[in-house]
Amino acid sequence: MTNRTDTLIKTLSQDLKAVQPLQNPWIRTLRWLGVLIPYCAIAVLLLHFVGKLPSPFLNSQFLLEQVFAILTGITAAMAAFASTIPGRRRSYLLWPLIPMLGWLATLGQACFRSASGGISFQHNLLCLPFIIILGTPPAIVLLMMLRRGAPLTPSWTAALGALAAAGFGNFCVRLVHAEDVSVMLIVWHIGGIFVLAAVSSAFGGSLLNWRAIKKLSA
Amino acid sequence: MTSAAPEALMRRVQEGDSAAYAQLLNDITPILRRVIRRQRAFLNVEDVEDLVQEVLLSVHAVRATFDPDRPFMPWLFAIMRNRLVDGVRRYARQGACEIAIDETEVTFRAAAANTMQEDFGDARELYRAIEDLPPAQRDAIEMMKLKEMSLKEASEASGMTPGALKVATHRAMNSLKKMFKTR
Repeated sequence: MTNRTDTLIKTLSQDLKAVQPLQNPWIRTLRWLGVLIPYCAIAVLLLHFVGKLPSPFLNSQFLLEQVFAILTGITAAMAAFASTIPGRRRSYLLWPLIPMLGWLATLGQACFRSASGGISFQHNLLCLPFIIILGTPPAIVLLMMLRRGAPLTPSWTAALGALAAAGFGNFCVRLVHAEDVSVMLIVWHIGGIFVLAAVSSAFGGSLLNWRAIKKLSA
Repeated sequence: MTSAAPEALMRRVQEGDSAAYAQLLNDITPILRRVIRRQRAFLNVEDVEDLVQEVLLSVHAVRATFDPDRPFMPWLFAIMRNRLVDGVRRYARQGACEIAIDETEVTFRAAAANTMQEDFGDARELYRAIEDLPPAQRDAIEMMKLKEMSLKEASEASGMTPGALKVATHRAMNSLKKMFKTR
């Protein structure tokens, strides 16, 4: 047995490849955004000019909602990256909490104000293609980046990754999808984000696991 | 730790220094063995050693996640704790699937299956036949059949993919069968 461990050490140390140490979570988040911002900017501009979509209402409520959505995406991405580094404190799980609460509060306040005119839960499914076009690439790029880390808490990492991709995707979708019914936004968009995070969390172990990481490092 | 600090060794490991890596792994292995044995006192020596190897493989897989400006031991112990939890889950799963049975004298009703002595033939001849195999097939048969290594272990030890190992073992077995038929 000990001989086998000695053989393993010998095997691992032979032909050792140099590796680039992973950067800080916030630098990796910037790199993630650096890949996605040009893509989403082009996609949003094309959808506006080629698709002739209406511009969103640029009022203070919309701007505040967008700021909190993008901050939720950024802090969730940082937290997801931090969760793949062994030895880090778990306080990173709280990072997206404040912007997410701010996001919900902004929508809740607008929802309360618009409730006097009657609440409608009807949803325009036309936003689905926008969600796919603008939400899928952030999720795929993030998953690829997260797979370079250690799968210590795959469920949490996947849920945070989904929240990050959804926050960023939602920010972009709102630029081309001029819906102003906040009840609908809370139920469909935010509800959808929570469902996505829960589903990702359930599949976290399949997406991020030691077997896959070992295969990548081989 | 006897010589260089693990942080300094790990920095060299990330640059691809094999000697530093061998030294680091040799330094941490007794520590891991001791801690795992203490924390999982119910495991036998083989299971402890399996866990030590699992931690070493995991360290190797995620060596890029080590930040050279941070201490090494918390990083190592976080990986070890994670692998221990997985190891206990695996241990529990295996335990749940295994059924203890009494040792039986007879395995099958057929008389041929119950001979007390089996004729293994000449072992030296078999070793000579293995020596005559092509190198890849010889390595595969040695690791998979003689040393009884798992596919994963053999793959890690030889650098061959599991698929290539399976093919090499299959071919080696066929070659050996042919050799003994012709003799």
